[in-house]
This record gives sequence, C-alpha cells and structure tokens, in this order.
Amino acid sequence: MSDRALQDDVIRALADAPYRESAAWRARRLADPDRVERFARFLARHFYYERVVHFFKYSRALARVTGRGPEAVLTRPGFEALVPTIVLGSRQTAQAVAQLVVTHVGGAGPVIPYLADLLRYEAAMMVVEAGPRIWRDGPERKDEGVGSAEWSAPEKVEGTVLLELAYDLPLVLPQLLRPWSDVPQAPARSTTLLVARSPHGRVAVARSTAAVAALLRLADGRKTLAQLALDAGLEVRELEQTLHGLVELGAVRFSTGS
Amino acid sequence: MASLSIGAFYNPHLGAELVRGDGIDHLAMADPPAPGDPHWPAIRARHTLLLHDYLGQLSEPLDERSIERARTLAELYRTPWVAEHFQCLHTVDGTYNLNYVFPPLYTEDFLERFVRNATALKARLDQPLVMENIPGFFDVQASQLPEPVWLRRFFDATETGFLLDLPHVWLEAHYRAVKPERWLAGFPLDRVVELHVAGVEEDRDLGGPWIAPAEPSDEMLGFLAHAVTQCPQAKAVTFDAFSPSLTAEALFRSVERIRAAL
Repeated sequence: MSDRALQDDVIRALADAPYRESAAWRARRLADPDRVERFARFLARHFYYERVVHFFKYSRALARVTGRGPEAVLTRPGFEALVPTIVLGSRQTAQAVAQLVVTHVGGAGPVIPYLADLLRYEAAMMVVEAGPRIWRDGPERKDEGVGSAEWSAPEKVEGTVLLELAYDLPLVLPQLLRPWSDVPQAPARSTTLLVARSPHGRVAVARSTAAVAALLRLADGRKTLAQLALDAGLEVRELEQTLHGLVELGAVRFSTGS
Repeated sequence: MASLSIGAFYNPHLGAELVRGDGIDHLAMADPPAPGDPHWPAIRARHTLLLHDYLGQLSEPLDERSIERARTLAELYRTPWVAEHFQCLHTVDGTYNLNYVFPPLYTEDFLERFVRNATALKARLDQPLVMENIPGFFDVQASQLPEPVWLRRFFDATETGFLLDLPHVWLEAHYRAVKPERWLAGFPLDRVVELHVAGVEEDRDLGGPWIAPAEPSDEMLGFLAHAVTQCPQAKAVTFDAFSPSLTAEALFRSVERIRAAL
C-alpha cells in the first residue's frame, strides 16, 4: 500500500465511524485507538457545527423568538446516539443531523407561521450539500455545454431536490439576517424551489418553473434533447435555455450519447 | 531583526471596529470578502492584508482553477506572501473529507509530494510562499521522520518561508509531555517569516486542550517572546482567531498584549 493510500485510510477511519470499528482498520494498528476515537468525535462535532450554523442560519436568526438555537442539538443525547454511525459528509448522516435540528427547533410550536417550511428548506440545503465532490480538476476536463455533439443525454444529478413550499421563503430570507424587531413575515403563496449542488460542492437555490419540474422528471440520462423537448412539450430553444441553467446550477449533467 | 508587524485575522463581523481601530499593523484573510461586506473597501485601503485562505492540499498538485484563484486573491489583497498549510484532509477520490486541518504522514513519499507541488505552486505565484505547521493529536505508525526533521528538509528543498503556528507546537508538546521550548527547538526556526499565536481551551471530546479562538494566556505569550528570539527572519506575528464568537474587545486586547510581550 502506498503512503498516499495509507493516509486515505487514516482519513477514512476518522471520518467513518463504522469503518473505525471494523476488523480491517483495527488490524492495521496504525494509531492509538483511544486517541483516534477522541479525535474523530471532535471532528464530527466540528464538521456538523459548521454545517448546522451555515445551513440553519435563518432559524438561528429566529432563535430569540423560538428560544431554540439549531446548534444546540450537537451537545444533546440525540447527536451522541448518532456518533457510532456518523460518516462525515455522507448524505445519510446529513439527513440524520438535519432531522435532529428540525425536531428540536420545530418543537418551538406554531410561533412563526412559516417555520416548518423554513426548516424543510434549510434541511434540504444541508442534505444536498453532502456527498463526494471533485476537489481538483483533471487536466483533461471537458466542455459539458448544451449542444456539444458527444454530450447529448441530460440526466438529473442525484440528490437534486424540488421543494414544494406553502410560503414564499425567498422573499423573507434576506430580511431575517438583517436587524429586525418584529419577526419578518413570508407571504403565504405556493412556491417551488430547486436545490442543487455543483460537482465542486457549491449549493445553489433557484425558483422552479413547470418546465424545470418537467425536465427534472424526464431527464433520465437516456432521452435525447429532441425526445425531451417532445415529452416536456417545449420548443428546442426553450429546452436548451432551461437545460443550460440547470447545468450551471448542478441539477443536470450530460451522459455520453454513445 | 526588523520591527515586527503585529496583526490579527479579518473577522467580517468586526469589520466596523477593524476599520476604526488602532494598533493593528496587518490583517490575515481566511476567506475572500463577502460581496456585500460594507467594510471591505476601507479595510483594503487601510491595512496590509495577508492571503491565508484554503488554496488546496499540496499532497496533490493544485489545479489551474485553484492556482488562478490564489493569484487573483493575492493581487486583490496585495499580499506580501501567500500562506498554505501542511495538510492532507481529503481522500484522493473525494469520498472522505475531514473539513479540518490534518497533517500528512511524515514520510519520504509525502515529503517528495509536498516539495514537488509546493515548488510548482511557488513558480506560479508573484509573491513568496509560506507554509504553516499543523498539529497532530496522535502519531501514525507509518510516519518515518519526526515532524521537525520533515519540515527542515521541506524548507531546505523548496526555499519557501515557514509560518510557525506556536499554539500548534505548544499542543504537540503538551500531548507528548515535553516542554514546549524543547519541542520548538527542533523546528527550522531560521526559515520563519510569520508566527501565529492564540489561546487554547479544554475540549470535552479530546479530554484536553486544543486550538480555540481565544485570547492567548500569559504562558503562551511567554512562549511567543521566547520563540521570536529564535526566529531571525520573522516579519510578522498574527493573533490567530477567526470566529463569529470572537469579540472586538478580545481581538484588540490580544493584539495589544502580544505587542507588550514582544
């Protein structure tokens, strides 16, 4: 095994609690198990503290009304119970930690009409951000633009989410982070948001349209652009414009047409 | 030794105070300025800025995107040097990421990797490159060289500068049960360009002290005063605290105490 592979093994042991318990890791005897376990717990709390504070920043801004700060979950028994299963950066762990926050902050009761929507939105952001990512581009990185001859079958990227909300959250979010005395209110208006992540890990949110929803439902990596346009009832030009936006957001990628 | 520049990290939530306040010679930039940061223009106009962002891990070559980002930030800040860390915190395939500074194995193979990739990065920058030491909470059996020896060989091979993080050295000494001054003596102090100093705090998970955005203790400041006398090329000392929980009072008081200790 190369030194780089050994380093990866140590990183995995710190990030992946079930692997840390495995016979394969223990047999390596690379480091003091007690020190590794303590450092892994420290890393887990740090990893999810950063994410909870970042993705639940709007709920955090409302804590003086709800009385419940999102990051409080990281020192509560629910998080301690998760520790033996935590895999840093995995979608499953992000889901579990986000659910702890939703339960904790949501337990404040109906003090803010749109709180449930807000928590769903923040949890979706945190879960979409999870998963492996590209840390460095290879020298052979190809243009994946719409219309490229060899990239012709659009496919919804795994983890991309369409959120159906009862309140128009994008209108209230910036207000929550500015000074306020009365809780800013969100208009009660059905709103669909698209949450997606680029291969490099950048999470983006956009208002969704019927065309976007149709494309995400139909883009299975097999249909050509012409088939998609036909099935979605869109003009090819409109389809290409919509796809371009979805590729930029990280919601759609192109499979090889061969 | 020329007079030392004494500074801190730019904490955007303290932007107003940092624009108005006195006693700060430079600000290190851990993140690019937010697009809507109202204090950024004045901060840039008033302070010497040091690029101290995450550029990438030098166990692998930086890609063009990362190099261009580093060059752009260096130009924006007009930084006198560019800092990066001796870290390897995500796996090659991108599946696992610690999201926290973590040192590489101190082996010949990793030394060769870091020398090659730091040399390549240095060649693409218009400013000198400095590299910061990272603390280990545990030793990995596969390491072949003591960290200070590995660092000495790295700096001799690359002729880059050393950003000496003193709390990192102090913590390693603590967990090895040796005196910090004794552990420090093995490091290539003649290469030091900048020093970091901050406080440490008890961490429940680690069962002992660890890096924290806290004021340095008198003991840590004494350690700093000792270290500076061993670093003839040092140009700057930075209070290494970057956190939304940091108060303006703690930042300015820490910088003032650092200045007094030197």
